[in-house]
Amino acid sequence: MGAELRAVGAILRRDFRLLCRHPLNFVNLILLPLYQFLIPSLLLGAAFLVNGRSVGLARTAGTDDIAGFLFVGAAASSLGFGIFWGVTWAIKREVDTCTLEQAWLTPTSRETLVLGSALTSLAVSSVAGVVLFAMGGIIFGAHYSARIALGVPALLLLLVSLIGIAFLVAAVVLRVRQPNFLIDTTSYLFVVTSGVLFPIAVLPAFLKFAAFALPTTYGLDLLRAGALGTSPLLPVVWEYAALGVIAAGLVAIGRWTFLRTERRLRVQGSLGSY
Amino acid sequence: MLAADLRAFYAAALKEWRIMRRYPTVFIGILFWPLILPGVYVLQANGFGAGDGQALHAFAARTGTLQVAGFLYVGGAIYMWLSVVLWGPGSALREEQTRGSLEQQFLTPVSRLVLLFGSAPAHLVQAFWMFLVIGIVLGTLFHVPIGAGTAVRALVVIAISVPAFLGLGALFAALVLRFKEVNGTVQLLRGVFQVLCGVTFPIVVLPLWAQAIAVTLPPTHVIADIRSVVLSGASLPSLAPDLLVLTGLSALMCVMAALVFQRCERDSRRNGALGQY
Repeated sequence: MGAELRAVGAILRRDFRLLCRHPLNFVNLILLPLYQFLIPSLLLGAAFLVNGRSVGLARTAGTDDIAGFLFVGAAASSLGFGIFWGVTWAIKREVDTCTLEQAWLTPTSRETLVLGSALTSLAVSSVAGVVLFAMGGIIFGAHYSARIALGVPALLLLLVSLIGIAFLVAAVVLRVRQPNFLIDTTSYLFVVTSGVLFPIAVLPAFLKFAAFALPTTYGLDLLRAGALGTSPLLPVVWEYAALGVIAAGLVAIGRWTFLRTERRLRVQGSLGSY
Repeated sequence: MLAADLRAFYAAALKEWRIMRRYPTVFIGILFWPLILPGVYVLQANGFGAGDGQALHAFAARTGTLQVAGFLYVGGAIYMWLSVVLWGPGSALREEQTRGSLEQQFLTPVSRLVLLFGSAPAHLVQAFWMFLVIGIVLGTLFHVPIGAGTAVRALVVIAISVPAFLGLGALFAALVLRFKEVNGTVQLLRGVFQVLCGVTFPIVVLPLWAQAIAVTLPPTHVIADIRSVVLSGASLPSLAPDLLVLTGLSALMCVMAALVFQRCERDSRRNGALGQY
């Protein structure tokens, strides 16, 4: 166990060292959501303002604070995108540089290798999320309540769920080999269906069902309820229960899928091929 | 000489088309993103509008239309066209550079225009395929009336816009050749156009200084003109002044691209950086 923790620490150090070599990538983690969806969304919202107030959003989301609604969403979405892309790049990098098999030969458990990359991704995207959250308040006029602290347990459960997703992503990347399009579309749909950009209330019924199966929907909803005073989609206890069940389920399914995929690829001898 | 260049241009276009056909996921992507991206903004607009009469009136007053989905899908289509141009012709020279075949191409006795624009026709096919799909979706799912006349007028506006986008792609290609960074530059440039050109919003909600910049960018005019044609039934003569401005901007863009390309090529050849990456 101690050795595995040291391995996780080593992976974290390695990934942070790589990140420091490419600081523009970190800056892009903040700038990209800002100019690709936050500012366009704020301006679209401005087109619907009546006397400076978003009456529509007040009706569908329970708050007329467009900036607050979007920037809390952006902070949560950075975790989602972070886990999808962080794990994808980590494994793709090993495959492309032909070092995956060597890493697999070390006496470290395979799950530890994925876990290390997942933790780096979550750490980096958490920092990006906090920066976006702060920018929302300081530059774009979002008003947050201190009651957002009540959403911290939800955030922790969300992080556990995302670890489960990291295992699933790792399995897909190992299996598909050219996963960019798949990861791009899946991560986008995962994040968007959670209500990052719009209230869940406007989703068609079949997509609402999908939204209620995603951990980010509950995590984001509880964070918004704390920060903006919106009404949660379900009673808070139910949301925590759902989030707990989904987190446990995702970790179990994700780990099982990853180990099964990894074993199959080892048997086929195609682990390092691309 | 011209005939030889035309043959080379045809060969370059054919080569790009063949490469494109080998990656069928490109065509799935070209269906997925133009439908999903604006669709997300339509849902967002539903959240902002919520069927509230006052909010929808405010939107109509600022955009000149109540067709929210049409407004967003037209913007989305032009944004995707821009993406196709930047990732396609805009990145073509850089791709040759990373493959190590750029210097060989520069040694051939063809016009530099062939190298700059040779990949464009294949990507135009891609863009027209995307416009067709978006047109069908707007007509069938969102009941935006697009008759034959409207489609022809929209195609005329698109045809007039082609040089502007080609110029933009060529200018980008020249700059990428110089600075050697595609991904970050494409993301940045797309972001700038998305924020300034009114892809998802009317530019009247921008601050005045940003509006002043927006009107100097060709995509702003293309988006506005196609919205006028598709959503308000505007005739081509009524758009003539704007189309003239667009033509002027296109010419300016192409001249700038040629000058920047010439400069970048000369510098790269002098310092031997043409084939470096």
